[in-house]
Amino acid sequence: MELIIALFFSTLRQAAPLLLTALGGLFSERSGVVNIALEGMILFGAAAAAITVNRIEVATGGLEAFWIPWVGLLVGAIVGGLVGLIHAIASIKYRADQIVSGTAINIAALGAPSIVLQVLYNNTSTSQEVNNRLPLVNLGIGEVSVLVLIAFLLVPVVWWVLFKTPWGLRLRAVGEHPEAAETMGVNVIRMRYTAVILSGMLAGIAGAYLSIGFLNQFIRAMSAGAGFIALAALIFGKWHPFGVLGATLLFGFAQALAIQLQGGDILPATIVQALPFILTMLVLAGFIGRSRPPAAVGKPYDK
Amino acid sequence: MGRYLFLLTGLIVLVLMILSPWAVPMREFDGTGYLLNPLGAMNPKGLTLPEGLSFGWLGVVFALWVLLLLAASVVVFLPDAAIRARALYVLGGLGLALFALEAYLFYQAIAAANEAALAAGARRPPLRRYALSLGAYLGLFYSLGLLLVARMQLPGGRAFLVRLRGVVVPVVSLLLAVVVGAGVVAILRPGLGTQGVEGLGLRELIAGKLDLVTYTFQILFSPILNLPGIFNSLSFATPLIFTGLAVAFGFRAGLFNIGAPGQLTIGALFAMLAGVYLPLPGWLLLPVAILAAALGGALWGGLVGWLKARFGANEVINTIMMNYIAASVLLFMLAANEYSFFGNKVTLPFKAEGFEGRSEEIQEAARIPSMINILAPNSTFSWALPLAVVAAIGVYYALRQLELGKRLLATLAALLAGYWLGGALPGIPVTISSALSSQLLNGSFLIAVLALLFYNFYLFRTSGGYELRATGLAPKAAEYAGVNLRRKMILAMFISGALAGLAATHYVLGAGMDGTYRLKTAIPSSVGFDGIAVALMGQNTPLGIFLSATLFGVLLAGGVSLNAQLGISNQIIQVLQALIILFIAVGGFLPRYFTDPLRAAQVETEAKAEQEARQAKSSPIAGD
Repeated sequence: MELIIALFFSTLRQAAPLLLTALGGLFSERSGVVNIALEGMILFGAAAAAITVNRIEVATGGLEAFWIPWVGLLVGAIVGGLVGLIHAIASIKYRADQIVSGTAINIAALGAPSIVLQVLYNNTSTSQEVNNRLPLVNLGIGEVSVLVLIAFLLVPVVWWVLFKTPWGLRLRAVGEHPEAAETMGVNVIRMRYTAVILSGMLAGIAGAYLSIGFLNQFIRAMSAGAGFIALAALIFGKWHPFGVLGATLLFGFAQALAIQLQGGDILPATIVQALPFILTMLVLAGFIGRSRPPAAVGKPYDK
Repeated sequence: MGRYLFLLTGLIVLVLMILSPWAVPMREFDGTGYLLNPLGAMNPKGLTLPEGLSFGWLGVVFALWVLLLLAASVVVFLPDAAIRARALYVLGGLGLALFALEAYLFYQAIAAANEAALAAGARRPPLRRYALSLGAYLGLFYSLGLLLVARMQLPGGRAFLVRLRGVVVPVVSLLLAVVVGAGVVAILRPGLGTQGVEGLGLRELIAGKLDLVTYTFQILFSPILNLPGIFNSLSFATPLIFTGLAVAFGFRAGLFNIGAPGQLTIGALFAMLAGVYLPLPGWLLLPVAILAAALGGALWGGLVGWLKARFGANEVINTIMMNYIAASVLLFMLAANEYSFFGNKVTLPFKAEGFEGRSEEIQEAARIPSMINILAPNSTFSWALPLAVVAAIGVYYALRQLELGKRLLATLAALLAGYWLGGALPGIPVTISSALSSQLLNGSFLIAVLALLFYNFYLFRTSGGYELRATGLAPKAAEYAGVNLRRKMILAMFISGALAGLAATHYVLGAGMDGTYRLKTAIPSSVGFDGIAVALMGQNTPLGIFLSATLFGVLLAGGVSLNAQLGISNQIIQVLQALIILFIAVGGFLPRYFTDPLRAAQVETEAKAEQEARQAKSSPIAGD
């Protein structure tokens, strides 16, 4: 029983960043912009949040206060949103190949934080540990970070926004048939900008969760593929919030299992670590259900 | 509009010339320099130059530059295009001459001062770190810009640039990335020699920043100045050629292979298994090990191709997943010896003794010799390789009439004959410095050159390659013409993976990682991502890939000294690569006729029509 509870909470913790990122990706892809840069956005958000919190702590002489991690979270979201803006400008305004542009951001996310870390901490791979982490919430049988709770509460919100509001209808129209949406008076360009920036902000929040919620510092490449798995969860979840919830829970469970099995003598950890990725490939190959992307995804829009 | 932009550029150049150091005759190891400027030298840390060194000519040269800038600004407003072009050509030429003069005077003065000091009994030359700096380079760039603007004034100028778009877009992207990278460096680091010095004026602070930026890029490009540096650069470039080819091959077939890191890893694993464990005769072992590297990568890539062909699974995400799986496989094989599966102990033989995750040593016969040992075995320069290359090129160009297959076979024969004959000739004894003999460049570089040739001939000279490119450009048209798209997809990923896998020959069989003939878990598989920048920058052409891989090789080699000298992380290279990819993706912010082939063709057609109309006017047909 104890093991099951541990596994349950571990699953929640692992699924939360995937869920936040995938919900972000949902906006972007539903608007017709492939966002392979989610991985990089997580990293930029994680670095920004950890560095912000650390700088505040240094400036205030190690103050521990309620507001500090929330400022970190906010900065993480803003930086994620700015990276989203870069992706949006490249792929919407300049009609860049969206995958190439996203790849550029992912590569930058491996290098850029190191340069800043070197200047601040004389070290290219980790930031200083922070004391102000995002608060925990007690669920009766265990505690989780408040962002885990927020991530799961966001699912119905996103569903409502996408499927029950005029804005959501327009967003989906833009991703399915931008010309038709434009004819109906929807500003395709603005919708896409909003969606991509929103996806960057959510990925940035996921990154902040990793660096100042789940852990207490930024580590180079700490996302370890979360952005790509979130993308796969998006496909597996058929670009639907509840589908995405199920997919991220499945992937989160696989990761939690990998952690639980580590050090045990059931399976070698290195093998178990590969399981989420193998699972993703099986999903993509359609062994576990087919899914259809938004019709206009990946195509630049020309008026 | 264009003219005012030109004036604005001239103004910026002038302001920067006033603010920036023109030359640095002396520099401490920490980068602090003595900054020469026409309006007076800047020397915040109080370095003393040797006596008798005078740079009075700098003021004269600066005055000439101001005149040149003014003249150019007037000339662009001349009404007649032909005269305008001619005048700009002349000014550009004068600028180049002026820059050459500066360089001559500066290096002459330095050499004279050093000689004088040595003659006076100094043990070492007093000036060891010196170079022209931003102010002088600005003149050079401005002059080159003038020549380009001059060409643009003549008829068909725009079409000329559009025709060269394969060069224009990458070069503009590179320049933009350099500017942004310079901005990042300037923001993050204090100016050279200005930290901790009280009472500096704004001019000194700005000059310190500009000096920092210039010196950063001077260090990054410094490996091209000496032979060990060139070897080092090519050693960094070798795996980039392979991964660049792998990504480019995918692009040509319309596939985006982000899986080069994983393919490289599995290729390295296969090469290690063959190189360590295969009990083959010596002459056979090396070729088999090389093929094993290719096969490992090919299978890893081909699997993704098959998944796409059979199930329509997106290759982008699948190749990324395969990267992580490959990393796990590598760790599983080499990070430990003992594992338990459901309680049963399993022992793997692959990890060698010791703390580090590494394989056993590759057998002697499977090792690729270092480049120095190929060029000059036993400190004797050998004619084998040079003669082989010359013979092969000669035969290839001599046999133009033959069909391609026979021509290539004859070339191969000439290559081997040249190698054998050259090896038999008496060599020239040479002394090899330890800086050179310690370089990790190895025979894998030659395999990379062969891979470039394969890419060139397969894609552009065979029907299979033609079909592959057709698949990439217009899959539906290719299918209608009878191409089996699914087979092409699998084949493309198979070959792409093989090319990435071959990069392992450099790291494992050639000891290109750290000089040991082993596979280590620390193998830098992320060069697979660098291949994306190489392929994009090289516009998927063989020559372009070679040049951009070499460029990145130089930068990576320079990044090591940058880290050591200025404390700037060599991750700056990665950021530069990312910026280049991003800028190429947006077409260098250039007008769309540079990136859209249809619009480019339109520009060229219009220029042609214009030219024909002009010719018709100048030679009117009799009786018309």
